[in-house]
Amino acid sequence: MIPTLPDAIRPALDNGIPAIMVTCSGDGIPNVTVISQVYYVDDRHVALSFQFFNKTIRNVRENPRAYVCVSDIVDQGHWILRLEFQRTETEGPIFDAMDMQIEAIASATGMSGIFKLRGADIYRVHSVERVASPGVAVSR
Amino acid sequence: MQAVVIPGKIVRFLEQYANLAFAGTRDRDRVPCGHRVSGWRLGPDGSVLTAFVAESFMASLVEDLEDNGQFALTVEEFPSHETYQFKGRYRRHRPLQDEDLAVVDRIRDRFTRSMRPLYVHAPEELLRAFILKPGVAVEFDVGEIYLQTPGPGAGTRLVPPPERR
Repeated sequence: MIPTLPDAIRPALDNGIPAIMVTCSGDGIPNVTVISQVYYVDDRHVALSFQFFNKTIRNVRENPRAYVCVSDIVDQGHWILRLEFQRTETEGPIFDAMDMQIEAIASATGMSGIFKLRGADIYRVHSVERVASPGVAVSR
Repeated sequence: MQAVVIPGKIVRFLEQYANLAFAGTRDRDRVPCGHRVSGWRLGPDGSVLTAFVAESFMASLVEDLEDNGQFALTVEEFPSHETYQFKGRYRRHRPLQDEDLAVVDRIRDRFTRSMRPLYVHAPEELLRAFILKPGVAVEFDVGEIYLQTPGPGAGTRLVPPPERR
């Protein structure tokens, strides 16, 4: 069965909360970075913004597997995406749409002039899973 | 990778300002995996960090650490976006202690205060629940520290300095 992104994930992708991405270099060193945008391309692909994270960019070209966690504070859930890098787009409708969103996020978070989209990295979705927040921990 | 001592400025960041963290591991096929982290503590020698991994993000954690020992921890202060990444070698994992849970509670308070201006009408418990219940403590020797604050210096290795390698 080919994994598809459910409609229920769309609000979490659009909520402006930074996502987390984990990659691994060719020599086996994991790398964790914060990314400002996960863009829905279609039900089997997402695009990630390529801005500063050079180690991530190098890693996915050495080893295309990636892990992304998208969170939603209001919904109290986390979406886990296991991905495989396919290609980078530096123009076209996906790039243009992401560029506009990045500018909006930068403006809203005081990062204008720092966030700049260099490319839209397209990833195929290997799996998608939702993890619900079990609630607040209390001290023993 | 030799263990390094975390500089004082970054110790203050970890202990007084940071409010979010996420860890990365990988399996024997180099497939990466992520783990939400609810808190962290610095060991007395300044080179061992302990990450309190959320109970609901423990899948494959111990198996991967025992396979290859690779561990990365990114710690951020929201909303300033000041961020550092600590890379190193797994030492051991252990159950959580009362003092660990007290640290998580302090970080949860810090996170809730920082988010309140953005979620003015959100119930307190909603914001507090974003810092998940921790399930296990993972100790690791810090071997490298990277600056990850968004901007031109993002990705720069701070410790050890690049010229030493």
